[in-house]
Amino acid sequence: MVAVGGAEQMVLSSDAVLSSDARWEMVDRLTRQTVTYGTYKRTLGDVLGELTVKPLTGIPVAVAALFAFWSIFCSFAGALVTDGFMVKLFDAHWLPWLQSLWPDPASWHYFVFVGDPLADNCFEAFGVLTSGLFVSIGVVLPAILIFYLMMTVLEDSGYLPRLAVLVDSVLHRVGLHGYAIVPAILGLGCNVPAVTATRILETRKQRFIMMSLLAIFIPCGAQLGVMLEVIPDMVGMVFLCLIVGFCLFGYILNKVIPGENPEILVDVPPYHWPVKENVAKKLCNRTKGFLKEAVPFVLFGVLVVNLLYLGGVIQALAAFFEPLFVTWFGVPKETVGPLIAAFLRKDLAIAQLSVIPMTAYQMFASVVLISIYFPCVATFVVMLREGWKELIAALAVLFVVVFAYGGLIHAIGILLGVA
Amino acid sequence: MADSTKNKITVLMVGNPNVGKSALFNRMTGSNAVVSNYPGTTVDFTKGTLIEGRQEYEIIDVPGTYSLEPRDAAEEVAVRMLRDCPDAIVMIVFDATKIDRGLYIALEVMERGMPCIVAVNMMDAAHDKKITVDTAGLQRLLGVPVVATTATSGEGIRELAEQIRKAQVADLDAILKRLNGENTAKKQVSGCGGCGGC
Amino acid sequence: MIQKNSISGIYIGLLGLVTLACGLADIFVWAGINAGFQVGILEIAGDDFFRWAWGGFIMVCAGLFMLAGSRKALSLQQFAKVTLGTVLVWLIAGTDIFARLCESIPAGEEAPEFFNSLSGFIGGFAPPYSPAIILLPFTLVILYLLYTQAYDTD
Repeated sequence: MVAVGGAEQMVLSSDAVLSSDARWEMVDRLTRQTVTYGTYKRTLGDVLGELTVKPLTGIPVAVAALFAFWSIFCSFAGALVTDGFMVKLFDAHWLPWLQSLWPDPASWHYFVFVGDPLADNCFEAFGVLTSGLFVSIGVVLPAILIFYLMMTVLEDSGYLPRLAVLVDSVLHRVGLHGYAIVPAILGLGCNVPAVTATRILETRKQRFIMMSLLAIFIPCGAQLGVMLEVIPDMVGMVFLCLIVGFCLFGYILNKVIPGENPEILVDVPPYHWPVKENVAKKLCNRTKGFLKEAVPFVLFGVLVVNLLYLGGVIQALAAFFEPLFVTWFGVPKETVGPLIAAFLRKDLAIAQLSVIPMTAYQMFASVVLISIYFPCVATFVVMLREGWKELIAALAVLFVVVFAYGGLIHAIGILLGVA
Repeated sequence: MADSTKNKITVLMVGNPNVGKSALFNRMTGSNAVVSNYPGTTVDFTKGTLIEGRQEYEIIDVPGTYSLEPRDAAEEVAVRMLRDCPDAIVMIVFDATKIDRGLYIALEVMERGMPCIVAVNMMDAAHDKKITVDTAGLQRLLGVPVVATTATSGEGIRELAEQIRKAQVADLDAILKRLNGENTAKKQVSGCGGCGGC
Repeated sequence: MIQKNSISGIYIGLLGLVTLACGLADIFVWAGINAGFQVGILEIAGDDFFRWAWGGFIMVCAGLFMLAGSRKALSLQQFAKVTLGTVLVWLIAGTDIFARLCESIPAGEEAPEFFNSLSGFIGGFAPPYSPAIILLPFTLVILYLLYTQAYDTD
């Protein structure tokens, strides 16, 4: 207990735990004796900082930031590296070389490692050493690289918390508060660190909603890179679909799940120029992480899918699920293969979709389906680490969402006459 | 203090979110903890090693927290770390532009009777904002080492590392007396400041 | 000071008006109200949503920010708005130039070699340009004002 005797004479018994008021009082007196504040002139940077948080000026800035982000992403990953160099390298040099070198095109190992002997590009061949390498190194690596570079700039400049303040009112409708934008944006890079980042949300309800929405509706950077390559014209529509789903199911979850959604005060730090060394270090670590963990996974994924094809498992599953896929989701039964791959890596699954013959609408529907379907195995593992109860509940939500939303998109497609 | 033993001494880095704990941690241990400019970057603890004066320290970067009554899962990690390492030295990191908030959590830690050292980080930002912090005065009042640092440029890191071994258990009574203007000669061996936990 | 304020105010106001007009033109052409056109080195193609509708919206905002900041343009509060508008124009122009750069480094898809020839590379930067790039030299004045800290601090 604390005995406070007047402002000047505060006495404390030796086994005391201070009350928070008494603590603040002490803090006050300590700072008064040690900290002096000079006259501070506001700088242009301060005013700019305020302008980016006010809705009237802040929203256009956020829209512009998004524009720049996507534009640079497309220019660098799409036009420059993948279309400019990697496609040529893999299709004109690597694939023919491998096809001429590998013995016995009819054998199982040719099918597994090189894939289709008649393929003239690395997407369609679908062997471990052709599509596997092309997807991971040729398409996803440049996408990840530029994505992380831009994200690091966002993180280090101090723009993220300002974005959080801006979107606060929108996210409150879906049971979250503005700061949930941080895991959401991290999730656009990779869902794994994003799941851990949900720890900054206060209540279990918020964490659960965020984790479920993250696993279902936020596509990762690798997936974005492949989408940009396979269906460049439809990315916008897919995104729209995912955002609508995010808000719709967030709203429902918010109504259904008991618990609170408290207000928080976001601490907005001043803007900084990103420190070069820090940006380089982060970029380097993240890229290394991708090369060490994701690339083997993509190769392994192709291997597993090819072996399942050889064993006839995928054909059997496709036949089994045909009614569900064709009548409920409106996609060809062959999408079973990519859906199995999606459990390992979503980027791989979308690459695989590109070789299945289907209409533009079916392509669109199956890309959305793959995005919202089961989180990849790495995400699955971190979610498990955050709590198995939440994981099971999230999976239940996931099944409902996949069925409901997949059916809804199909229904809309039918109504619009495109399905 | 257990200076003379060759065992690893654990040092917990505690402080408000976004005061630069991870940046300081990277500077001291050469680790690669993720550093960003938004509160809540660190949500889990990271360990690293610092060898200073033939003593090996295990430094643990803990998620930032506004108080020891956790509001979210990341803050819970911080509080749990403090509870699980009762013998650790606590390095309390302040943002020089927000000394008051740092002091609040510092007092909470001090009540637990753990040996403390204070790093007043972001001195460059304080200088830009025309805020001056009397670290010597703070050291005299608190009775624990106080070091001014700037993690981004590396200023003060050397001194901070050297001062870890001088970490002291703060005596809140004595702090109060000093605040009241009494000149308390350092009286050690008053034992634990008295928290219920350890 | 008042003299200087009004001169820069007029300049910024004009720049804002032109930016606003360019942004609206971008959107109109995209929406199909006008056909895409080319005047001298200026071209508005309006062929895709992202670049012209979205980008056009940003240009409109940039113009509005500059206009909003053109009265007493050199006070801290107002000049911040002008700066923000200018930054948006730089953002659009910067991404345009970056896109051209990325497209002109590699050789075309059909060509056997990997890198573009020097002349092909430089050819990638030939006119016509989008409005944001053409506005770029005119924003140098703002850069100058920024750099010399011509605005008041309060």
